[in-house]
Amino acid sequence: MSTDASFRASRAIRLLLPDAEIISSGDVAEESYAGAYAEAPRLLQAECVEGPVLRAIRVVGEPEVRFSAFLDGIQRVRIVSHWRGVPIIRGVVAAVVRVRVNRRFVAWGHRKPIVSERLYMPLRYLPCGMRDEVDGYPIVDTGVDGPNGSPPSRHPAALRAVALESIRRDRESAERQLAELWCTSVGEPIFIDGGISGSSGVACSECAVGVIKSHQTLYADGAALDLVMSLRRGERSSVFRVRSERRTEVVSWYLRLRDPRGHDAMFGLVRIEAAVRDDVALRANEISRWVLAEGAPLSLPDSRWDRMAYGIRDCEEFLRAIAS
Amino acid sequence: MTVVLGRVVATERKPNTPHEFHFWTALESPVGIGTIVRVDGRQPVNGQIPHVYGIVTEGFSYTDLLTPMHDVLSHDGAPGSAGFASTDRSEIRLYTAAVLRHIPEEPLQPVPMGDVFLAQEEDVNVALRMDGYLRDGQSTGIPIGVYRAGGTDATIYLDADFLVGPEAAHLNITGVSGLATKTSAVEWLLASVFAHFPDSRGSIAAVCFNVKGPDLCFLDQPGKLDDQDRALYEQMEVPAAPFSNVRYYAPLAARGYSLNTLRSNEALLHNVLPLTWGLREVLQYAEVLLNRDDIDAKADALIDFITRNVIDQPFSDPMLQRSHVVQSFADLEDWFRDVLHGLENGNKESWRTHHVATIRKVRNRLSNISLRCAGLVTDSGPVSDLPFGSFEDRATYVIDVANLEEDAQDLIFARVVSKLREHLERRDLGVKHVIVFVDELNKYAPGDGPDTYVRKMLLDIAERGRYLGLVLFSAQQFRSQVHRRVVGNSGTSVYGRMDGDELATPGYAVLSPAIRTKLATLEKGQLMVRHPHFTQPIFVRFPRPAVMTGRMGAEQYPQGGEVTLEVSVYRSLRALDSSIALNAVMDVIGLHEERDVLRARALTLQERPADVLGAFKGHLPRRVAQSVPHNVPRVAALRGTQGDDPYGV
Repeated sequence: MSTDASFRASRAIRLLLPDAEIISSGDVAEESYAGAYAEAPRLLQAECVEGPVLRAIRVVGEPEVRFSAFLDGIQRVRIVSHWRGVPIIRGVVAAVVRVRVNRRFVAWGHRKPIVSERLYMPLRYLPCGMRDEVDGYPIVDTGVDGPNGSPPSRHPAALRAVALESIRRDRESAERQLAELWCTSVGEPIFIDGGISGSSGVACSECAVGVIKSHQTLYADGAALDLVMSLRRGERSSVFRVRSERRTEVVSWYLRLRDPRGHDAMFGLVRIEAAVRDDVALRANEISRWVLAEGAPLSLPDSRWDRMAYGIRDCEEFLRAIAS
Repeated sequence: MTVVLGRVVATERKPNTPHEFHFWTALESPVGIGTIVRVDGRQPVNGQIPHVYGIVTEGFSYTDLLTPMHDVLSHDGAPGSAGFASTDRSEIRLYTAAVLRHIPEEPLQPVPMGDVFLAQEEDVNVALRMDGYLRDGQSTGIPIGVYRAGGTDATIYLDADFLVGPEAAHLNITGVSGLATKTSAVEWLLASVFAHFPDSRGSIAAVCFNVKGPDLCFLDQPGKLDDQDRALYEQMEVPAAPFSNVRYYAPLAARGYSLNTLRSNEALLHNVLPLTWGLREVLQYAEVLLNRDDIDAKADALIDFITRNVIDQPFSDPMLQRSHVVQSFADLEDWFRDVLHGLENGNKESWRTHHVATIRKVRNRLSNISLRCAGLVTDSGPVSDLPFGSFEDRATYVIDVANLEEDAQDLIFARVVSKLREHLERRDLGVKHVIVFVDELNKYAPGDGPDTYVRKMLLDIAERGRYLGLVLFSAQQFRSQVHRRVVGNSGTSVYGRMDGDELATPGYAVLSPAIRTKLATLEKGQLMVRHPHFTQPIFVRFPRPAVMTGRMGAEQYPQGGEVTLEVSVYRSLRALDSSIALNAVMDVIGLHEERDVLRARALTLQERPADVLGAFKGHLPRRVAQSVPHNVPRVAALRGTQGDDPYGV
């Protein structure tokens, strides 16, 4: 986080809460908050649409470069102040579409990257009244009642978790905006980091392919789980359906990008989401070839290099550079 | 409209300073080492947007790879598979530039963040401070070459006041041999100086010493130019033509018939003149020919005595058998013989405080000068010299010393330069400025070794010449081996392709590794220039000189072979009068002594009369007709002997 940005945030807080404690930058790494909003690991039953049960299927054909663009977003979080323990968090979310031109990535010219910077704070616990900005700095109230109708706990950790969840939603919203715009205006295959079911426009688009790297939720249990864990390089699972009440239905499958021997079971394993189609098997094979083609160059030195496409790393590096 | 070329960047680890900054560009940008750029600042300083001009001195390129191993892993260890990757890694072109100029110049601040543009022609003028001496009507600019980068094509000018004096002066060229750097650059630059030296600064001529091969022997003959060369000449407004006023001087060969030069082809002899000196010319510079061991205080005192009391004046002494007028080496030898004879007869060990051993030593050393420098120094013949006092504006005087022994080369150099200096001091040379070109400075002004007379002369020119209008253009292969004060006093330094070992010497440590690499790989026709107005070295391109190369000249005009005395004289005289026939020359020479013929030829060439053959004939000694004189008293016959008495008794 740049000194200039911290200074602006601190000045806004001073105007708002003169006796708030300003936390000097660099005290706490933002990554340390990552666990606060991590999902709990869980296993779900896969609803197969390619055969009765999950099985390992070798991807047929050579990897094929088809993705024209990559989409990813980032969020940067820092507790910049607290008032009697009530955390005031500066959150920056950003999203970008990077288009491949002559084997190199450039930002999509049609829509500039989205970058937004806000202060996240539970106003009900602060002596500053209700407001949506201070000194030109947007404020997001994280003290609103939860889905169960009760206000968030006054516990600082609970307030922080609520704020982080709010920031995550803002990031997903930014990503969704860009994805929808791409799908409606371009229509070329786009590699999206994460799931696509959050937007019906994207989830139903032929061009959008979501690639999920984290596996807190595994759509397999029992024998199916054994099968997924033992997929070999270039193999995919059968296609299954993913649906929930608040999300649009998509089809999904697991794909092993790299040889897991000598690594943990999740090494090189991604889950792919695409729009529902009749010819799911053909489509899964085709998209798997596209994703396998993005195996090089490696996205090292990122620790997730075994699952991360280089285009996604490029998006992240780009956003880190512009979203201070 | 100029396109943004790059952006200034700075980090805590790699900050910008007032003299250096960093910027990145697109991968396909035309920036390279030596490119001149302009930075437009964003924030006004004292109400003025700052502009900074810089020249690229270093370049970096890297990707987002943490280690090369990651790339190996990316392609499963198979380099060939890299081409199939869907994407190339993110890559950067990061450049470091040295600041040429800040506008405004005060306050001097670190280079601000801002957009970087390729310097246009007007930017180049400002960046190199050429705007100060290229004013309309008052320009003192001397084109040295063209700066080219990314479509910018700007003529680079040196300031005549800093090249020829009086502000600074002298030029030194360094470069490996055989790559058309040193000689070509000097030939081009002389043409440029002659074309652009401002009238307001007076007249100028050049004296070039041809020290090796036929390098400078064909300056008046046209060379081969291509369209690119002609375009450069046109752009820099220098006539693409050979030098129009060139005179060659060369000593005679040992026999004295022909000139000791590679420019001895009959077709080119019209402007080749002999360079021969007598005792008077040489003795003043005897120090050049005598090593340190010879010139002790006693010998020096005797030489001084001879110079002041014996040469060119009647000299008599009670000890001597006769009075002497010493005007040649032959006369001097007679004088020495007389002195030594007197000492021996008188059984004396010294004469006028000079010990006999010293006299013998000096006699020995001086007498063999004419042998060591045969062809240049004459025992008794006439003197033929450069036209000191009547030098012509924009004329080039080439002295060919390539075929001479080292002693003779040193003598010529020392005397010519001394005479130039004397005449320039008296303002009676004929021109106001003289450029002296000396190649192989490693040899004549080495950084180590004995302190020779020639080196002292070169140091003197380098340090004081600019006040007189005596300008040294020097060249060598290894600048590091030349005396520091000689190269240090060169206001302008030019570098062609350099040898790697030379570049590794400490003198080049001020250059960035990239600049040194560029110097080691420069193409023919490219130079790096340092000039007092340029705060950083600049790379320029110059055209081939419009004169015939030495190699071509030697092929087209092969050296004249050994000739008879008659043919030698015929060729010399034909240079003055093409109507002269060989038979006529042979008739005139007749049975004259060789020595007389050569003397008459030299005097004729020196005079350059209208009636050449008549003058030649006039200089030959009259051949007196044999006749019986009248009224010769008859000698009385001896008395005859009587009888058979053989004793006449």
